[in-house]
Amino acid sequence: DALLGCHRSYRSRPTHGIGKFKYLLPKEAPKKRKEKVQMKEIDAGTEYQYGDVNIQMTSYDLCLVEHFAQYVHRLCNRLSIRVNESYAMPTKTNEVLFMEDRGSKMQLDAVLTTHQRVVQIRGLSSTFAPILLEIIQSSQPEGVHLLMKQHTEADFKSRLKSRPELEELLAEMS
Amino acid sequence: PCRAQPKKKKKVDVKKEQAQKERMKKKLKKLEKAPPELIPIEDFITPLKYSESNRVRSLPALSPEESERRVLLLKKWCLFKQKQDEAEKQAIKALVESQQEALKELRLESEELFEAAIRRDEGLFPFERDGPSYTPPLPGYDPPEGKCVDITKVYTQ
Repeated sequence: DALLGCHRSYRSRPTHGIGKFKYLLPKEAPKKRKEKVQMKEIDAGTEYQYGDVNIQMTSYDLCLVEHFAQYVHRLCNRLSIRVNESYAMPTKTNEVLFMEDRGSKMQLDAVLTTHQRVVQIRGLSSTFAPILLEIIQSSQPEGVHLLMKQHTEADFKSRLKSRPELEELLAEMS
Repeated sequence: PCRAQPKKKKKVDVKKEQAQKERMKKKLKKLEKAPPELIPIEDFITPLKYSESNRVRSLPALSPEESERRVLLLKKWCLFKQKQDEAEKQAIKALVESQQEALKELRLESEELFEAAIRRDEGLFPFERDGPSYTPPLPGYDPPEGKCVDITKVYTQ
């Protein structure tokens, strides 16, 4: 009979799992799902610790600001300050036009690109914060504008693309 | 004036409006399903004209004296940077130690002041500082008239 002819290894018998072989094969990497860009929870911080702090460095010079951001990141690593993220904000391009001495035309002078890098840290203690500030200030290169502030949702939203259709629909619905 | 047969237009309007609303709701659901995307950063995208392989530089051969000089210069630079880094570490250590000592003394003086000193400073953030400049602005300079136009590319999803 077909039913009696099947060789089922029962779970208590030593032959259980005799035909398995997948555990011998190399593990396949799981399928990469597109990581959804979700906002991580913003830490408010306690009375003796600052929460999420953004160190934003802006400059016209790309290499300088990149190197400074790397320096700040390594400094935080060395001082065992937790670095949440270290990202770049989108570049802004400005066209500088100036009026000629004689004439009404605006002449193109230069096209400047403003670059910004952000290093986000968490868990900065209140006694160490002024020391860190002092160290970063003393090694601030020329032309790099430093800004330290608390991380807010608006900061995160400024990194995302605008969705005019969604906003239009929402405006129409309400 | 009341009519015998009421106008049928009202029902059709209501149905049309309902259909429109449903369509809008479906559109909204579809748009909301798509996750928000980050704006691509132009810094990290190399423009195509630099990836064309026409431009290849052929460097001249270095004389042994020149390469020797460069290696020695590199070593001197490494030493200089190491001393700089060491000085920075010492500075941080000294600052932290003096701070801890001061806090210890303060604690011995009064607990209240110590507690108030340990608390976080709300006025510290936001902190802004412009970097030092190679050439500070001239006092009597009269700049030509002009304007700045923002031509950043706006990305929409």
